[in-house]
Amino acid sequence: MLLAIEYDVMLQFEGITKRYKKAGIIYPALEEVSIRIDKGEFVTVTGPSGSGKSTLLNIAGGLINPDFGNVYFHEQNIYLFNNSEFDDYRKRHVGYVFQQFHLIPYLTVFENIRMVCSGLTVAQQIDSYLEKCSLQPLRNKYPSELSVGEKQRTAFIRAIINHPDLLLADEPTGNLDPLNSRILMSLTKEFNQSGGTVILVSHDQDSKQFASRHITLDSGRLISDQKIT
Amino acid sequence: MNPFKLVIKELFYRKINSLVILLTVIVAATVSVAVFTLSKASENETRKIMREQGLNLYIFPKGTNLIDFFSVNNTPAFSEDYVDVLADSKTFDAVRHLTGILQLKYPDWIDPNGSRHQIVVSGYKDEAVQRFLNKQETMGFDVEPGTVHVGALLSVNIPEGEPFRILGKDGEEHTFEIAKRLIEGKGILDQGVAFHLADLQQLLGMEGQINRIEALGCVCHDGRIKNARMQVQSIFPDLEVTEVGSIAEARENQRLMMNKYGSFLIPFVVLASLLISGLLFYANVNSRRYEMGIFKATGKSNSFIVSIIILKAFLIGLVGSITGFFAGSGISEYFGQKIFRFTATDIEPLWNIFGFAVLIFPVLWMLSSWIPALLATQVDAAGILSGE
Ligand SMILES: Nc1ncnc2c1ncn2[C@@H]1O[C@H](COP(=O)(O)OP(=O)(O)OP(=O)(O)O)[C@@H](O)[C@H]1O
Ligand SMILES: [Mg+2]
Repeated sequence: MLLAIEYDVMLQFEGITKRYKKAGIIYPALEEVSIRIDKGEFVTVTGPSGSGKSTLLNIAGGLINPDFGNVYFHEQNIYLFNNSEFDDYRKRHVGYVFQQFHLIPYLTVFENIRMVCSGLTVAQQIDSYLEKCSLQPLRNKYPSELSVGEKQRTAFIRAIINHPDLLLADEPTGNLDPLNSRILMSLTKEFNQSGGTVILVSHDQDSKQFASRHITLDSGRLISDQKIT
Repeated sequence: MNPFKLVIKELFYRKINSLVILLTVIVAATVSVAVFTLSKASENETRKIMREQGLNLYIFPKGTNLIDFFSVNNTPAFSEDYVDVLADSKTFDAVRHLTGILQLKYPDWIDPNGSRHQIVVSGYKDEAVQRFLNKQETMGFDVEPGTVHVGALLSVNIPEGEPFRILGKDGEEHTFEIAKRLIEGKGILDQGVAFHLADLQQLLGMEGQINRIEALGCVCHDGRIKNARMQVQSIFPDLEVTEVGSIAEARENQRLMMNKYGSFLIPFVVLASLLISGLLFYANVNSRRYEMGIFKATGKSNSFIVSIIILKAFLIGLVGSITGFFAGSGISEYFGQKIFRFTATDIEPLWNIFGFAVLIFPVLWMLSSWIPALLATQVDAAGILSGE
């Protein structure tokens, strides 16, 4: 019976190579990386600076085209999507959280989240998330009036408000103090437990405890891939 | 979220950038509207002066004695149809505002007190509408049938409220309502009466006759009189053309100069403003690169990104053109009153260019933001968002 377990493959990197060229010099960012990520996994990606972690994440999110290799999302090659399919992929299937929160300064907390929603998302839904993340009193404040933790929680709600299949987080706790890091990580875990798949780039050892799998990159190569049972 | 609201919020957030862009539109619109309004005012002024001073070209039968002609000494008459033939000619464009006139001495007019005077009677045909001119461009001479304009010297002899009475060739007394009592300084008209042509023809039994055509010759080149003469004579070899210098001519020259400056100044100012505004849009887009990155990462389409920038340009263009229209009209009114003696009080906002201004400036400013908007769609979202 055990052998018959079917994994639902969410994302598959197949022989991904990406090299940046600057002033005639080639900087390899990823070399022949192949990874399969199943639905519901919580994957951390670690590795030294410049090892290609962000590049991998951005290739998954459709923001960077790989030089070689393919990325499949539910068996569809995302780099064969046309423009509107690509926009749709980024809008509905992927949520992003960055180290720099990248909130839009002239929009309130509520509006920053509302901005990414399609017409169908109701204000109540946003408000219930705000409530859960203790942001309700700050609903109509501007980013400049928020603490870093509050900013990141706003960015987190923006990332998950459309119920994406995949949450891509690039060092989201990099600018946060331990308490705020823990709050964010437990929100991320909650997203994962409700069925979402997470790929998290982190140097932070604490973050690892939430994960179900650790991937390590070095100089653009996959050097370890560990599932935690 | 409504892109309109997004644009408005950004516009107020980056106040300085928005204000400076707004300023470029206001400058361009103000200058354009002011130059245009003033040149229109100058044109009206010219027209008005022409009407006051008379036109600068006389057309009359060949062989007419010029001494007689200028002293209104009953020079030979010809058919008024000549005017219509000239107006209808495709080749005849050196002359405009063709007005057929019958002007004669009337030796023994009896005023209401019973004394006799020699006066000048003039009948004005409605200005011919020339093939190549719009109806609105005619100057007209506004003596309505059944009415007269009496010259200043006659006017003093007729009590207020009385009609103008004159004996016709038929021996009957004819009465005309006095529509206007002219002020002094109208030259020969001071000692005369202006009729509608048909009324005067009937009065004198000269149906269908005129003895001069007055017109405005084109003052654009030297040799203009030669050109006008050639054109007239190629149609009617029996007519002669002569020219009268006047203030009108100086005004006409001034108007042409104004148009020339305007046609240089408007495009220059508009283009310079567009260029500056294009750079400001570029600066704006550049400072919003991470914002564009977020738009892309959250699945906003390129057309969304382009449209919020173009919409910003449109809104600024709209506000700027409306402001510029009123500023330009205000400036014209203020300076126009000092420049133009005759039409000073007539200078007012040209509402027909209002619509044009609020259309053209937003469109131009949308164009100026076009390249920056396209650049905005090209930002390297990954590099911006993942970088420090
Ligand atoms: N836009 C770019 N242009 C040129 N080189 C780049 C660009 N982005 C990344 N690189 C290079 O590619 C390599 C991998 O970069 P990447 O950002 O993926 O590393 P990382 O593991 O995320 O590093 P860090 O931990 O510092 O964020 C590095 O050598 C980097 O210098
Ligand atoms: Mg990185």
